[in-house]
Amino acid sequence: MAMIHLGGPPGTGDGPDGLRLHVQRLSPPDGRPPTATVVLVHGLLTDSLASWYFTVAPDLAAAGLDVVMYDQRGHGRSERPGSGYRLETFVSDLERLLAQLEITTPVHLVGNCFGGTVAYGYALRRPERVAGLATIEAKPATPDWLTDISGIMRRIVVELVAHEAESLAWVTAHRGAHTARLAKSAARLVRTTTIAEDVAASRTVSEERVRSLRCPALAVYGADSELAGEDGWLRALPPGTRTVMLPGEGHSVLAEAPARIRGLLLSWIGEQGTAIPVAAGLKGADAS
Amino acid sequence: MTTVEPTAPAPATTPDAPAVLADVAGMLRTMLDEDGLDDIEVAMDTRFTDDLELESIDLVTLAGTLQDRYGQEVNFAEFVADLELDEIIGLTVGQLVQYIVRCLSTAQVRAVEGS
Repeated sequence: MAMIHLGGPPGTGDGPDGLRLHVQRLSPPDGRPPTATVVLVHGLLTDSLASWYFTVAPDLAAAGLDVVMYDQRGHGRSERPGSGYRLETFVSDLERLLAQLEITTPVHLVGNCFGGTVAYGYALRRPERVAGLATIEAKPATPDWLTDISGIMRRIVVELVAHEAESLAWVTAHRGAHTARLAKSAARLVRTTTIAEDVAASRTVSEERVRSLRCPALAVYGADSELAGEDGWLRALPPGTRTVMLPGEGHSVLAEAPARIRGLLLSWIGEQGTAIPVAAGLKGADAS
Repeated sequence: MTTVEPTAPAPATTPDAPAVLADVAGMLRTMLDEDGLDDIEVAMDTRFTDDLELESIDLVTLAGTLQDRYGQEVNFAEFVADLELDEIIGLTVGQLVQYIVRCLSTAQVRAVEGS
């Protein structure tokens, strides 16, 4: 584990001391040099880098990749500032993190849910730094996305904050103790920060701008998820995006079907060619 | 003149399950102290999630502590790579202790054979 310190440039909402993010990095076994760098970006509220660590990350490293995972601000073991949770700030964190890790060559970005939206945001901001983009149950930050996420955040504020005890009891009974524990952390994040209002105030991008993205893109959805059931949104994805619907899966497809996701990611990253120059050394991060 | 045959180094004692359990319990107590849960007994059948109320991210932190203590021989990421998410959530302290003991004895056999 390593805590990576991001300096606090204006506009991030961080204090003068910047922000500390928890980073985990896995390398190929036996000291083999990695063939490419992949950066895994987790989702909102109940999520953390653990969702990658316990699903696809070890296999990606075993396949020869340099795997970078981090807890986004407010999540997991990263710092939880009181404000500064608009999408564009999360994108800036990713940008600053890669700079801090001295990763300057193009990376494969993989994002789950909101992490996918962050990944699209980074690809739009720094297209030259992205070798490929793979998202799971995610949309780019179009005005439609903002309407959806704002509704979800409003519902969460009501359920998790105003009726926390009842909601947690329900989650414990129906989803088990571990999910309830995650929901409790999510409730704390929503209660103690401006995340709900900030996410809803995120800057959006036009569908036209999203369609200007030219990097190879893979978009995976659970066929039974709400997202997959919506009409017309596929046209908002970058042209040439390969869309995969996994039958029988819902929104939690990464947790529910990690083997499927693993297989898709490995073959897709392999197809993009792994002869991409590898990022700078492991300075400042854990090589474990 | 007497020639002394070089002797194989005496095998270092590999920590056994009780010793590793004591180590892991110590690490967990340090982690749990931060949450104010310092009076929980840690035994082989203690479950990380249900009994200790650890989140998955706490297990990632524990992985780092294990590597600091035992070195590269104990690779938590490789251990969990073979487990389903449900199995990770239901993991007991004993399963982890057994895994660590296995890793350490393998490492020792390798060291003796390589000498």
